[in-house]
Amino acid sequence: MSWVKAASFNGEDVFDESGDELSLQSKEWMSNMKKRVKDGYVDGVDAGEEASLQAGFDQGFREGAAQTAAVGRLKGMVSAISCWCQIQHPESPVPAAVTDLLQQVVKHEDQIMDGIKRALENPPPSVSDVSESMEDLEVEPSGCAEGACKESDCCRTAEKMELGSRSTDCSSSVEEDLNHLLQRCVDVVLNLGLPQELIAHIEEIKRL
Amino acid sequence: MADGEDLFDSILLADEKYRGEGYREGFQRGTRRGLQGGRRHGASHGARLSSEVSFYHGFATTWKCLLDHSTDVKSRKRLKALESLLGLIRDSPLDNPQSVTLQSNTDKLRAKFRQVCSMLSVPADFRDIHTAAGTSF
Repeated sequence: MSWVKAASFNGEDVFDESGDELSLQSKEWMSNMKKRVKDGYVDGVDAGEEASLQAGFDQGFREGAAQTAAVGRLKGMVSAISCWCQIQHPESPVPAAVTDLLQQVVKHEDQIMDGIKRALENPPPSVSDVSESMEDLEVEPSGCAEGACKESDCCRTAEKMELGSRSTDCSSSVEEDLNHLLQRCVDVVLNLGLPQELIAHIEEIKRL
Repeated sequence: MADGEDLFDSILLADEKYRGEGYREGFQRGTRRGLQGGRRHGASHGARLSSEVSFYHGFATTWKCLLDHSTDVKSRKRLKALESLLGLIRDSPLDNPQSVTLQSNTDKLRAKFRQVCSMLSVPADFRDIHTAAGTSF
């Protein structure tokens, strides 16, 4: 009868061993599949970035172009007036009202350009970056737990808000500055007795 | 044997499934990153080119107004050159950065602007005003 005992013992032993092996295998399996997810993720990021870069560029190009169209045109107008003064009255310096205005317009444009350059050099941390580092820290996003809302939707709204608030914050003061400069240009035209048609062209800049 | 193949298949399937899950998630993130990065670079290019072309526009429009009432031959010639510069500007919209004619249109604009400047006897150093703003598109 001892062999029966031995067999049952063996059986138990075998069972235990296979149990360990199973958990080991399932751990290995899990880590393998995690690696698959990670590999896929890395490839996906590259592919997604490559696929969307041009569309982003096009959108940004139009936005950037819209930001400098008005100030660029005003700069052209004031520069032309300045040249005109020089040619009409070579003996006297260009009126200070014109040179000052030109300086202010150039400064205004530099500010717009600097804003764009700053955004290029120091991109604001995007919500997705932040949420990803939070994932790394294994922090559960509160109030936005999976199931409560679609995570991607959530991030998208947050990003929109961030972009939106930034553009409204600076555009109001930029617009104010531009309107002030346009008014000064109208004054210059009136004071120097330049053709009245110019005023209509200055007004047109407001509608750009 | 058939069971073995099934198992093998399901391992491959799982492999693909997990890889695909990661890929989809990564693709979303990559798309956001690409859009944002592209947008920032595009903004910088668009702003510079628009500033330059808009400058030509304002400059030409103003000179046209200033010379409009002159009837001498020299002014007529200048007006004609200004008109042709304004025409080029109208034909070079900046709404599509991928347009194949964008670069050649810009080159034409710059050449025409230089011609206009010399016809107006505008000092050469004046062009530096906007070179500083970047014509290196």
